[in-house]
Amino acid sequence: MKHFKYSLVAISMFAGLLPSLAQADTLAVTNAKIYTSTEQGVLTNASVIIEDGKIIQLNPKVVNADTIIDAKGGILTPGFIGAMNSLGLVEVGQEKMTRDTNDKAADMTFDPSLAFNPKSVAIPFARKGGITRNIVAPGGGETIFSGQTIEVTLTGDWDSVVATEQALFVSLGAKHDGSRIIGMQNLINKLEERQKALAKAENKASDKDAAKEPTKEELIINAVLKGDKPLIAYADRGSDIMQLIKLKHRFNLDLVLLEAADAVTLADELAQANIPVVMDAMRSLPESFDSLHNSLDNAGKLSKAGVKVVLATPGDAHGNYALRYSAGNAVANGMTYDDAMAAITSNVADTFNLNAGRIAVGMPADIVLWSGDPFEYSSHIEKMWIGGEEQSTQSRQDELRDRYMTKSSMPQAYTNK
Amino acid sequence: MAKLAPSLVVIAVSTALLGCNQTQPQDPQVTINKNPYPSTYQVLPRTTTLLTNATVLTGTGEKIESADVLMLDGKIKAVGANLSADLIKDAQVIDATGQWITPGIIDVHSHLGVYPSPGADAHNDGNEVTNPNTAEVWAEHSVWPQDPAFNRAREGGVTTLQILPGSANLIGGRGVTLKNTPSTTMQGMKFPDAPYGLKMACGENPKGAYGRGQKVAPMTRMGNMAGYRQAFIEATEYKRAWDKYESDYAAGLNVKAPERDLTKDTLKAVLEGEILIHNHCYKAEEMAMMVDLGKEFNYHSGTFHHAIEGYKIAELLAENGNCAAMWPDWWGFKMEANDMIVENVAMVDAVKNSCAVVHSDSSTTIQRLNQETAKIMYSANQNGFELTEEHVISWITSNAAKSLGIADKTGSLEVGKNADVVIWNSNPFSVYAQADKVYIDGAKVFDRNDDAYRAKSDFMLGQQ
Repeated sequence: MKHFKYSLVAISMFAGLLPSLAQADTLAVTNAKIYTSTEQGVLTNASVIIEDGKIIQLNPKVVNADTIIDAKGGILTPGFIGAMNSLGLVEVGQEKMTRDTNDKAADMTFDPSLAFNPKSVAIPFARKGGITRNIVAPGGGETIFSGQTIEVTLTGDWDSVVATEQALFVSLGAKHDGSRIIGMQNLINKLEERQKALAKAENKASDKDAAKEPTKEELIINAVLKGDKPLIAYADRGSDIMQLIKLKHRFNLDLVLLEAADAVTLADELAQANIPVVMDAMRSLPESFDSLHNSLDNAGKLSKAGVKVVLATPGDAHGNYALRYSAGNAVANGMTYDDAMAAITSNVADTFNLNAGRIAVGMPADIVLWSGDPFEYSSHIEKMWIGGEEQSTQSRQDELRDRYMTKSSMPQAYTNK
Repeated sequence: MAKLAPSLVVIAVSTALLGCNQTQPQDPQVTINKNPYPSTYQVLPRTTTLLTNATVLTGTGEKIESADVLMLDGKIKAVGANLSADLIKDAQVIDATGQWITPGIIDVHSHLGVYPSPGADAHNDGNEVTNPNTAEVWAEHSVWPQDPAFNRAREGGVTTLQILPGSANLIGGRGVTLKNTPSTTMQGMKFPDAPYGLKMACGENPKGAYGRGQKVAPMTRMGNMAGYRQAFIEATEYKRAWDKYESDYAAGLNVKAPERDLTKDTLKAVLEGEILIHNHCYKAEEMAMMVDLGKEFNYHSGTFHHAIEGYKIAELLAENGNCAAMWPDWWGFKMEANDMIVENVAMVDAVKNSCAVVHSDSSTTIQRLNQETAKIMYSANQNGFELTEEHVISWITSNAAKSLGIADKTGSLEVGKNADVVIWNSNPFSVYAQADKVYIDGAKVFDRNDDAYRAKSDFMLGQQ
């Protein structure tokens, strides 16, 4: 994984008219109910202090800061983290010229960061849902290897990309033309080949022939085999999930399942094998013969069984803002509130190896202050920060609404607002 | 129509030669059976039921606290606090303290049954993509009643839904309104005496399916308009021929009936006001033209579905008596969905004589139209609106019933209406709310806590 360090000075320059913190200024949010997404759980009447984009103190006895914001009992959560969608890669879904998710030629080196557009109008809309960070997934090409995921923040700034080459994404399961066998076989073959090659290289460490430069693809599989790079596998049917569990054991993979409709039928096995599941909590129908076990209560059942659950809205990201409502629906259908909160914060961070997703000392100050329960429709964002920078929750949609809400003697399209 | 004109001439000539012989015996009159696949819907077993002490949203703009609802013989018999003991003496009482009661939810735009779950090539029955005008097809003939999504929708409080053909065609065919009751046949779900709908589609889909996909008309939006106009010109001629036949026959003439044309039968019924228009149309400028198209051919342009830009022409829609059925937040998937605003429904609704509807067009969001409505209400209220629960419930009940032409039968808890009722475990505009019990015509069709009322599709039996 490659990390990009960004300077706060640069962020302030790009943040434009938003109130920005000069370096070394401290900001305190006090009198909040803080969902830490850590073992500390929920802190009431608590405060958090931010400096240099990071959380430097959590609930100190004495609050000392340059700027103090009284939350008046409001709820403060970690920023929510979207996962496995195409945020910043698609402007208008069906307009091919605005899509960079897929390409026939895509292979496992396919890197979304080369197309990621921090100026996409989908990003401000996603911020409205309290989403501060996102795992962007490539759509891929004709093979099972879709490429690698990247981590971005939702500041809309040019330096939004935090990390690239984060996880290898493979897509398995039913094929309309052909058989699912080929996909699984390709994955197994690749892993076997590299495992043998690595063993050989180790045995001949002194041999000059073995020093041949590995290809980029070989390096990716090497990292997967060493457990340094997660393998995200899209699969729905139980039989595919079972195969993947076997592969995890055989090759000692850092395996993550995506979607996994039938995961609920293998919940104990997944929990035992420590395999997280990234899922859409709103899937409730037997959409295909691969996904007969979709149900609104799956997220809760998996959590209860001890599976680390990440709630996500995979696919195009224009509706990503609704992630918090998915969490609410998961709670309505049996997931505990704490599990649902973790599933869109700390679990995402743990699954994708992010330094985020918690309100804890040392973490980036990605935090959101809510008017009420963040999973409820009746609640809205009071304030939000990413890396300590306050963010706007205004989007193109607000401008359109305001234009047509304003009565004018001129046609609406003739105003400059 | 070219085919019909000569035969009419022949009839005219021959009657003239015979000196308009009114004494000649008439052949039996040819009539068109307007209901060849009639409803066989049967109400499920029911008792007189009294739901007590709930917060009731009537669907007519009222919210009544600590109220009771009496369902008798499948109808709403009484709603209010302190109903008379005489009225309720034989009723089975269900304590709904702390719960909320609303009319049954109505979805005006669904493809359940015609695009069922699981998705299977063999069940891909929603879009007759063979001609831009397929007014001859009827969605009811594609409905697979075993679609498990009917059950999921019922668990979300949906008691009535219109199944529409897809939007690939300019004129896609007839929609059918169903009661969301478990049934082995489509006819067993068919809402008795509900008018048919006609699916039309503006914009990108038809021109994409034909122009881009098959290199035939329509290729463009102007091609779309030409296609509707041509169809209604022909339908107008067809109607004229039938009208003439009927008046001549009534006058005692022995005249030959026009040749039946299934496509034009449907459009003729539109011109006669018997079939209501349901028009997939996103953009302001296109909806405005579809309103004029209706005026050009003397039919009402009905309900605009999706209507992403409804807020730009809210006044026009209300003045012309159009309903608009919309999502809260779908956008960005195509150009015509680019100008979405979450407050669209609220802005369409805010105009006098408006008819704003929240629809799903989705086998998943149909399960929570209450939540879709909540998104809009709260977002609008954060931006200057003062919408109430008792008002916005109309978007998924009474206004939806009006759009479907069944407002005299369902969509509100007015006395005499069908007892289509949902009991929610809490405020239905909360993310945590769930439908606890659902009634259609006073019969319980869903109970979250009783497996006897949790229908399971044939398809799901034995799946491991």
